[in-house]
Amino acid sequence: MESRILRPTLALYTVLFLLFLYGPMIVLTILSFQSADGGPQFPIREWSVYWYEHLLGFAETSRVSQLPVGDSLLRSIVLAFMTTVVSTVLGVMSAEAFRTRFKGSGPAFYLIILGMMVPGVLVGLGMALLSNTLGIARAWWGTSFVLHVVYTYPFAFLVMLAIFNRFDRTVEEASLSLGVSPAQTFRRVTFPIIFPGVLSAMLFSFTLSYDEFARTLFTAGRDLTLPLAIYGTFSVEIYPNIFAFGVLTTLFSFTLLVIYGLLMKRFTSKASRYSGQEDA
Amino acid sequence: MTALTTDTPSTTTHSPAELREKKDRRRAIALLSPGLLWMTLFMVLPMAMVIYVSFWTQTTFSVNSTLTTASWERFLSSATYLGAIWTTLRIWLIVLIATIVVGYPVALFIGLFVRNKTLQTALLVACVIPFWTSFLIRVIAWRPMLGTEGAINMILMKLGIISEPLTFLLFSEFSVLVGMTQIYCVFMVGPITFMLGRIDISVIEAARDLGASFGTIFRRIILPLSLPGVMVGSIFVSVMVLGEFATAASLSGRKTNLLGNIIVSQVGSLKWAFAAVAGVVLTIIITAVIALALRLVDLRKEM
Repeated sequence: MESRILRPTLALYTVLFLLFLYGPMIVLTILSFQSADGGPQFPIREWSVYWYEHLLGFAETSRVSQLPVGDSLLRSIVLAFMTTVVSTVLGVMSAEAFRTRFKGSGPAFYLIILGMMVPGVLVGLGMALLSNTLGIARAWWGTSFVLHVVYTYPFAFLVMLAIFNRFDRTVEEASLSLGVSPAQTFRRVTFPIIFPGVLSAMLFSFTLSYDEFARTLFTAGRDLTLPLAIYGTFSVEIYPNIFAFGVLTTLFSFTLLVIYGLLMKRFTSKASRYSGQEDA
Repeated sequence: MTALTTDTPSTTTHSPAELREKKDRRRAIALLSPGLLWMTLFMVLPMAMVIYVSFWTQTTFSVNSTLTTASWERFLSSATYLGAIWTTLRIWLIVLIATIVVGYPVALFIGLFVRNKTLQTALLVACVIPFWTSFLIRVIAWRPMLGTEGAINMILMKLGIISEPLTFLLFSEFSVLVGMTQIYCVFMVGPITFMLGRIDISVIEAARDLGASFGTIFRRIILPLSLPGVMVGSIFVSVMVLGEFATAASLSGRKTNLLGNIIVSQVGSLKWAFAAVAGVVLTIIITAVIALALRLVDLRKEM
């Protein structure tokens, strides 16, 4: 039987593939512990956390200028938060609209989906041209923000659409016909069902916006967001402080992922308790 | 209480079903209009602006709205810009094929050969985790990997396979291709795994019982059923690779100029009209690619 050879071969291939995916990150993590006089390559002269201290501003004066992490990090988080709120609200509303068949739903669907297809560099350029012509100052909280929503709203929309597709409408109708007000119905019936979807939509929106860079490049104006600060170092010589930053920002993302996992777990266990009561 | 009273039908000329349909439609439009307005103002309008400005007059440091085709003529007669179109198409095609070739066996293993749900999820999560590192960091991580003093050269020299460090690894088209393949491969593995996971295993077992070899099963059952996944993955990868510029800027040492890089450098020197021309050309290419892909697969049905 071929699968006796095929299965181990494919398993081995998958392991190699994972090595290919993780290799650069592993090397980067190792090199982030380079000593102060070492460069961004092997060998490691001496293991140290110098570049982490350097990144956080604890190191004494050095030949390498510090990464502008503090302010840009704050801007990126605020921007991602704004984007998350707006795109999730828009996504839920639009997906709710798509539960009824209506004329023109096809073009409307593709207009929304286009937002995640259009390359960032193109809408970024268009937005910069538009704000130049209209005399609007470019800023991360304005011109960049609206483009971030253009990008993340389709993701939130698709996630919610998938949730609504699996959602039995009669549950809502039962609540309404029992005389519960629409607002109450949404709070007590609809929202608990769609909440896992909302959480996923928020996670998508936040991470996409937090890391978004092409849409910000032409539209952020003077104040940089975090990805722009990193991009700025591309043109000059790189130092291990970038690597240390990469490790820290990855840890930050994982924290976010763990919070999402915990919320999701807590919620689904609660939901299953309720359904268990129904069965009894 | 209010909910009860408002539901009482007030007119008798329309049937309740008709009324309800009308009400539903009005509600759908009300719910949808903020989103559609947002997309029109902040996506369609900027794109229209790119097309409009590509016909503006470019002076040394600014543009004015006198219409001209000068920027287009300059773009289409310049070897550098035409070369960028060719480079963009070449890199897109190579990366697309590379992601399919590299990703398909992985998807085959996870989607079809691993039947334990927990292990399947764990493997998929393992594929997605690198996605949680900043995109730019993942790009820059290839520098210490591929450089002349990088990890790969070091390992190869230690093993005695080479005596001199390989210099073509970094700051070449090769490094751009490797970097892009690694970064975008996940978007190919995901959709294919999804489609393969939906295959009813009893179909394959039936074919095997009837004496079909794995080659036949693959060709006649697995491949056709996974093709929509390949198409969806191809759309993702194509759209992202065609609009790329950061990987080329970081890993090619300015040797590889994609249309995206042209746009960035033109904006940097305030040549807005030329940037707009490059933008329109890029739009045309991407539209053509998506239109072709959508002809082959119905995106709305697969979602």
